[in-house]
This record gives sequence, C-alpha cells and structure tokens, in this order.
Amino acid sequence: MQHGKLHLALFLAVLVVLSGTVAWWVRAAASRLAELQAGAAGPATAVASAADEGYCTGPLKQILRRVLTSCGLIKGGAQRGCQPVQARNVAAMSGDDFNALFLPLANRAAIIQFDQDSAELGSRAIALLDKTFADQRGASYFLVVSRASTEGPLAYNRELSRKRAEAVLDHIRSKFNDPDLDQEVGLLWLGAEYAQLDKEFCGWQRSRPEEACTSAFLNRSAFIAWIDCRL
Amino acid sequence: MSQPRSGAVVALALFALVGTVFAAVSTADFIAFLDRQVHSVTCSFVPGLGAPDTTGTSGCHAVLMSPYSAVFRASTWGGIPISLAALSVFAYLLFRAADLLARRAAADPDETRFLVAATLLPVLVSVAYFAIALLRVGSLCKLCVGIYVASAGVFVSALAAHRGAASGAPARPFPWSRYAVAFLEGVVFVAVPVVLYLALKPGYTGAMANCGTLIHPEDRYGVRVPLGGAPGGVPAIEVLDPLCPACKAFAQRLAASGLGERLDTQAVLFPLDKECNWMVGESLHPGSCAVSEAVLCAGPAAPDVLQWAFTNQDELRAIGKDTKQVYDRIRQAFPDIGGCLGRPGVRARLNRSLRWVVANALPVQTPQLFVRGQKVCEEDTDLGLDFVLSRLIDRPQGGGRTGR
Repeated sequence: MQHGKLHLALFLAVLVVLSGTVAWWVRAAASRLAELQAGAAGPATAVASAADEGYCTGPLKQILRRVLTSCGLIKGGAQRGCQPVQARNVAAMSGDDFNALFLPLANRAAIIQFDQDSAELGSRAIALLDKTFADQRGASYFLVVSRASTEGPLAYNRELSRKRAEAVLDHIRSKFNDPDLDQEVGLLWLGAEYAQLDKEFCGWQRSRPEEACTSAFLNRSAFIAWIDCRL
Repeated sequence: MSQPRSGAVVALALFALVGTVFAAVSTADFIAFLDRQVHSVTCSFVPGLGAPDTTGTSGCHAVLMSPYSAVFRASTWGGIPISLAALSVFAYLLFRAADLLARRAAADPDETRFLVAATLLPVLVSVAYFAIALLRVGSLCKLCVGIYVASAGVFVSALAAHRGAASGAPARPFPWSRYAVAFLEGVVFVAVPVVLYLALKPGYTGAMANCGTLIHPEDRYGVRVPLGGAPGGVPAIEVLDPLCPACKAFAQRLAASGLGERLDTQAVLFPLDKECNWMVGESLHPGSCAVSEAVLCAGPAAPDVLQWAFTNQDELRAIGKDTKQVYDRIRQAFPDIGGCLGRPGVRARLNRSLRWVVANALPVQTPQLFVRGQKVCEEDTDLGLDFVLSRLIDRPQGGGRTGR
C-alpha cells in the first residue's frame, strides 16, 4: 500500500512538472505572438522599386518630365517623339544646357553613329544598341536623341534625324519585344539646328570609336541612354 | 537488492535524465517558434554552455526546420514536435527508474523486463531518425546526438538490470495486468503534454494568413519559368534566387511536404546580386545574376539548371564575384546553353523578371510563394508550411482557414 502511494506520488509529480513546463513554454510563445500582433509592425523590408539615382535632382526631373510629357511618353497619346522646335520649347533652355543634362549619364549612354545621309544601322551600331538597351537595370526611361550633321538643308536634316530615331526604335521593337516599350522609349530628333554634340562627348561610348571625333561624325548619330530616375 | 542490480537502474535513471534534458531543450527551441518570429537555436553537446545558432546554419536548425521534426503538420500549425514525445518518454523512463529505486524493486525481473521493452522505443526511433538525418536532411544535430546516446544508454542499462534480475530468478508467468497499467501510464505521459500543447498553442487566424496578393500577376514579359508540377495543379508563383540558401531549404521543405506536387509552380527569378539587381546595395548572393541567366536560357531544362544551382550553391557563390568564372562553370555543366549566357536578349529578359517584381511591389527578399495569387506569409514558409499550404490548396478563394 505504501509502495502504491509512493508510485502514484512519483507519477503525478513527474507528470505535473513535465506538463507544467510544456504549458509554460507554449503560453510564453502565445503571449509573445499576442504582443507582436498588438504592437507595431516589425522593421519594414525594402520594397522593390525602379531605380532613382543620385543624379536625379529635382530640376533634372522637372526638365525630364516636361520633355517626356511633351514628347508623348508619359501620358501616351498619338504623338510619338519631339521635333527640334518642340524639344527646344519644352526644354526651355539652350542647346548646351540641354546637352549638359545628360552629362551625369556618361556610364549609361552610347552614341550610335550613322553614315552620312543615312539612317541605316550598321552591325556595330546594332551591337552597341543591343548592349545598351539590354542594360536597363532599374531605369524607367530610355531616351533616343537623334541628330544630323550640319551639311544639307534644315528640313532635310530634320527628316534625316527623325529617320535615325525611328530606325533605333524599330530595331529595339523587333529585337526585344518589350510590352512596355511605348511607355519607356522617348524619341527626340533635333536635326542639325539644336543641341549639337560637341567634343565633350568624344570620350563617350560610340559605335565607331576609330573615327575621328569631329562635330560632323559625332552628330550623324542617335544618342541613347537609360534614365535611372523615377518621375 | 544487490548493488550491481540497482546500479544499472541508477545508470538508466541518469541516461533518462540526460535524454530528458536534451529533448527538453530541443522541444523548448521548437515551441519558441510558435510565436512566428525568428529565434536562435541551441546546438551543443552541453546545452546551455555552447553558443546558440543565430544564423540558421547549424545542423540543429536544419533538423528543426525539416519536415521530419514534427508530425501532423498539415493538421496543426507547426505540427506536434517529435522531441515533445521524446521528452515525455524520457521523463517516463526517469519516473520508472526512480520508482523502482524508491520501492527497492530494481531486482524484480518483471519490472526490469518492462524496462527493456520500454527503452526499446527510444532506441528504434533514434535509429530511424539517425538514418533520416543522414540520408534525408543531410545534417546531424548535436541535441539529437545527445538523445541518440541517451536512448542507447537507457536500453543498455535496462538490459543490464534485467540480466542481473533475471539470473537465478524462478520462471513465472508474465504479469500482463501490471504491464498494461505501466503501458497506460506511459501513454498518459505522452498524451497529457501533447494535449496541453495543442490546447494552449496559438491559434492561426485569418489575419495571420493575410500577407497580400499579387497586383499584376500577369506575365506580360514572358519571364516566368515553369518548374514542373501537376498539370492542372493549383497555380503558384515562386519568387526565388537560385543561389539563396533559404530558397534551397524552402524547395526541400516543399518537396518533402508532398504538397509541391499539387502545385503548378512557375518561378520568377529575383537574384539578390547587385550585378543585375539595382535594388540591392551589396550582393547577398554573388553570381546569382549569371545563374539566373542560365535558368532562363535553359528553356524546358530550367528545373534541372535550378536543381544544379541549389546543389552547388556554396561553390557558385564563392566564385560569384567573377561572372566569367560563373559562366565557365555553367558551360561546363550545361554546354548547350553556353552560347546564350551574357547575351543582350537574356539579360533583358532577366531585367524584366526584376521588373515583374517591381510591378508587383514585392519585398526585396527571397523566397516568396504565391498560391492562386495569395502570398504565403514569410512566417509560414518553414514550420507552418504544410498547414498553410494545404489550406491554400484546398481552398480556392480567400485566405486559409483558421485553426491551431
């Protein structure tokens, strides 16, 4: 009888300690969870977003927004691209100031060069265009700013630069099949009358680096760049 | 009662105590995760002395998070930890040994015979779990090793006690009624803590299941990579990084749960490598951009490339800062896709994969699983995976059912 009581006492003692410990652990976890749910959210995880690089200053964004909106990029619409006069008006700045906008993009830009009087992309132009466009990273906008050299009449050069811009766009459209293309790519054709590239751009990546960097060679081109700014 | 006979029972009590301590620490670690937060895990042969594993790299963490650490995972969030049953069994053996010593019954062969039978259970379970740890999980945990040793110890001690008690004792019929009572006592030792555990553990509420949905699930960019699974299965999207250890562990848990076979899963590649991902300041998994390109290049063989990447994660991350070296390693393993790597087309596609993540405003982390467009909460991707996923799979609309 004495042994029976001892057995029962031991049984209950060990069982109570065991169960009590488990219950204590579980209640502690439940209580921590309740505190967590009642309290503020924990440290927020970063949310995926497009890039917004340091060079995207307020004034730059303002200019870009005006240019991109007026050139039919941001709001869409029938218009596609900006002609020289429009570009000058919406940018509301001198050609040099306009070009200076792109200086921070040195590592993101390329100059696609054309033969004189031609809007046909050569093999090296295509290779550089593909490489540059594929390197989108977090950028939201791709600008194509085409020009012509000063030889020839004004209207002809406007038309030639338009063809160059569209040659670039057509190639991108056929090669990359990007459904966002119309919201991404902005075209500006400047002819030979506005914002001609000067020697400051000779060091930039060009499709014909072996050619002499004269104003004529440099401006028979389409300047392309991804813009890492959120507007 | 002779000294050697009670000595074996004392040894059994000590081994049972050791087993109780190891199982208790393991159970406490498991239960801590019921609060759905991240915790360090004890991983030491001397619990309390070794530094806890705060990084999730120890064998103890791997075993604890493996699908084998608990049972009934699909029925209750996290399941019932195996270590809880182990704790109960060792506590029961401790009780029996203490009882024999207190009643001076250590030389009773009927009692020691029952001890042998009772200690056989932890030995068999330990053998099975040792094999699982080696063959399935691929890691040994120090706490588990402590339990294996304790299991062997109680069994050998019980054998020694019985051998001593049975020698020279007259043969008598088995006291089945006593054995039945003792067995019932053992059942009570296991059942009461389990019932308490189930009754007191936090409930799973609808709010816990609400971790958001995909804003733009459509694949306008053609970037999603089919990972196989059941044709006509429940549509699922996994955002992953092929060199992320958590993604590998998640894939293993999903496969082991058996629920992955009911999903028609597509992957969206989200390498956390600054080489291609502008959203990370530092490469968390260097080389994963190159490996992601390989997955995209592989077409129908993408699951094979992904599996290869998971298997060779450590090596690929080690060489990851040199993209060319990673490309060479990929070409060595998959010569057919070598020509595609680094090409503008595949880079643009990988970029669109990242932009799909941007379009859906997802957190910058991997892995993320969406079933029928609903996100499986990060807190539910380890211990709670089976419970939450089975509910999402069985319930077409809305969040998972509530429960415990």
